[in-house]
Amino acid sequence: MKIFKFFVSKIFLRKVIPSISVILLICMSNYITYIAARTVISTFQGYQETRGLNQEGNFIANLDPNSVADFGAIEAKGTQKVYDYLNSHFDYAFYVDGFMVSIPNSYDMEISLCYMNESYYAANQFELLQGTDLMFDFPLGEDKEIPVLIGKGLSETYPVGSLINIDDPALNQAITLKVQGVLKGNEYHSNFYALNSKSYYIFSIFVPVNEEFINHANLGLQVNGLMDIVVLQTTEEKILDLSEVIQDTLGLKFNFFSQQDNYEYFNEYYFHSLKIVAVVSLILLLMITCLSVWNALVSIRLMLKDLTINLLVGLSYSKLRKIFYSYFGIVFLINLVIVFSFTAMNRYGCWLRKDATFSTYGLFGLIGMDWLALLFVVVSDIVIGIIVVEIMLRKIKKVPISLGVLQ
Amino acid sequence: MVNLKKSLFRLTDVLELCIAYTFCFSLNLTFDYVKTVDLESYILKSFFENFLDYQLQIVILSTFIVIVFHYQMLYRKKTEVFCKILVGDTGLNITARYSLDCLTILVFVYLLSTLVSVYLNLSLTGNLFLPLIFAVYILISARQVRKYEDI
Amino acid sequence: MMKVIDLSIKEKIYKSKQSQLSILNNFNLEVAAGEKIAIVGESGAGKSSLLNIIGLLDRNYVGEYTLFGSPTDHSHTSELAQWRNQRIGFVLQESALINSLTVEDNIKLPFLYAGSEKKNLREDENFETVVNAIGIKPILKKKPLECSGGERARAVFARGIIMKPQIILADEPTASLDMENRERIVALLFGLNREFGTTIITVTHDLEIANRHDRVIHLERSK
Repeated sequence: MKIFKFFVSKIFLRKVIPSISVILLICMSNYITYIAARTVISTFQGYQETRGLNQEGNFIANLDPNSVADFGAIEAKGTQKVYDYLNSHFDYAFYVDGFMVSIPNSYDMEISLCYMNESYYAANQFELLQGTDLMFDFPLGEDKEIPVLIGKGLSETYPVGSLINIDDPALNQAITLKVQGVLKGNEYHSNFYALNSKSYYIFSIFVPVNEEFINHANLGLQVNGLMDIVVLQTTEEKILDLSEVIQDTLGLKFNFFSQQDNYEYFNEYYFHSLKIVAVVSLILLLMITCLSVWNALVSIRLMLKDLTINLLVGLSYSKLRKIFYSYFGIVFLINLVIVFSFTAMNRYGCWLRKDATFSTYGLFGLIGMDWLALLFVVVSDIVIGIIVVEIMLRKIKKVPISLGVLQ
Repeated sequence: MVNLKKSLFRLTDVLELCIAYTFCFSLNLTFDYVKTVDLESYILKSFFENFLDYQLQIVILSTFIVIVFHYQMLYRKKTEVFCKILVGDTGLNITARYSLDCLTILVFVYLLSTLVSVYLNLSLTGNLFLPLIFAVYILISARQVRKYEDI
Repeated sequence: MMKVIDLSIKEKIYKSKQSQLSILNNFNLEVAAGEKIAIVGESGAGKSSLLNIIGLLDRNYVGEYTLFGSPTDHSHTSELAQWRNQRIGFVLQESALINSLTVEDNIKLPFLYAGSEKKNLREDENFETVVNAIGIKPILKKKPLECSGGERARAVFARGIIMKPQIILADEPTASLDMENRERIVALLFGLNREFGTTIITVTHDLEIANRHDRVIHLERSK
């Protein structure tokens, strides 16, 4: 420890510029590794999530991006007709979110209402902290209560069994919600078309939706529900018929993607993108590793005399190796703290900005994928550290001590 | 490109400085290029945004390797500066030659980056701040040469 | 007398891209404890190379080397480092100091690697004795570049003897010194030999100094 302290204070830190440079280079490499790892992990999580719905015989709807859609021309009568057709011919998973309401809560967050039907709920298997699963068999009416699940962030204000009164933006009427259960910490929803983008349910209310609910809901919920609807256990012919009904009734051209289509899409789109992410990150990391090696060799050039004099009076190469590894260990730790602080600022910033969709629970809001990405950073640091230290030692060993001391 | 006889620069020094400048210019050009590409993939878009949002900071931090180059180069050339003065050179001349050599390399790499910008249809002003930063580094490091006159 | 050094070199080769140089061919050296030996010879004869081999700084040669009765050829580098720290002292030219450290820190540097508490107890006592004997108290807080050549040479000398080594290897210790400082360093070196029986091996071009040793070894340049 005494020797290490001596080296850090009297030798390494005396060469301020290469010392700062190594920290900056490692910081850049850590940031690249962290972002790349998080992109990959988040996409993988989203992919896993879609597997619940992306089953054989299921078809996921998507508005044809090349079609011209006139939403202003859509009438409630038309959407009702489509839903009637859906109800009579298919089983389907319905999910709509993004309807915001303001209700009192400990964190002053805007609350997002997530409407889902039984099939969607069953396919996703949400984990609960308290209470029981959603029930979908409930009557609608002013004096009736709708059983709901809430995110963990609302559980302090609204424990299981409590009632919440809201003006429901989908039904356009005041309703009473009864808390039936609390969702586990960081439950999330990935966007079907951007698997690495997530919304967290900490400040959400899961509102169960049944046929009666949809029939009473406004045009907004009905049209939005169609956009991401997943038709379950059906055939291609029936789907074509549905597509025709939607086009004839609403004038919207929908594409329905089968499991096979989705797999092909994932392969072509997501995996290709992830490959590019990996290759770009690797190239950048390689360049930074080369610069780190160059920087290390420059430092050796500048410190050669100091190092060899120490070797002359009793320092061994094995001890020097330990000193280098310890020093780089500290540099990596500093950079890890920087990346951690950056992530914490982003995550905790969501709480400060009252951004309900992205707020998460964890140490400063860090969640599993953040920690996993930090683990990747540690691994990449270890690899870079080994390369740099071993090259430095080789360089030092090449110089005869007797020449180095007189440099 | 550089008069290697009187100059403090040797071929490896020229290469090292070229690489350092090229790294910074190409990093900035890559960012500018990615901005112009119409990325269909949301994953790629959000991945690159993590870098593009901090483009200026990242590029400026990366110029630190040029500072490292100047620092270590002049540190190594202490004795050479002193010896040249001993045999009749002057501190002013050595400083002038050093600055001129650095500027020549900088202009060369900048022109190269401009050609790439033209080829990729990028704005020519996007890289302009880098030569200014590097010129400041050269001026600061040139002062260091004078310090070695009386080693 | 006990043999401290038993060295037998068959060949030591220096390779460069253009040529290859072989020195110290079939060279044998035996040194008894307390002996004073001077090594002289023209430049390139291998004087400093020999000193590096004796001082365990260079193991790239063909031959055998027994130091203090133990063969060194297969010893681990950390073992050799320990010997350099505890039993061998190097007195080099005055530039062999770390410029960013004070003279005091430079002199105390070997203590850093001494390890055990026993050595640490010896630290202050040794340091005081050596500093007083060499007369460098006024410059202890100075950095090497703030000292004169003679002062730096004495600092290097102090560092070489601070651990009370059994062998002192001096490589042209007086090369850049004036007459007064030269005599001072030589007197200190021989004083150690007289007082503690320290073995002294000096590489020098100065024949007058060489002749004051017990034995003078002439090295010749390979043809």
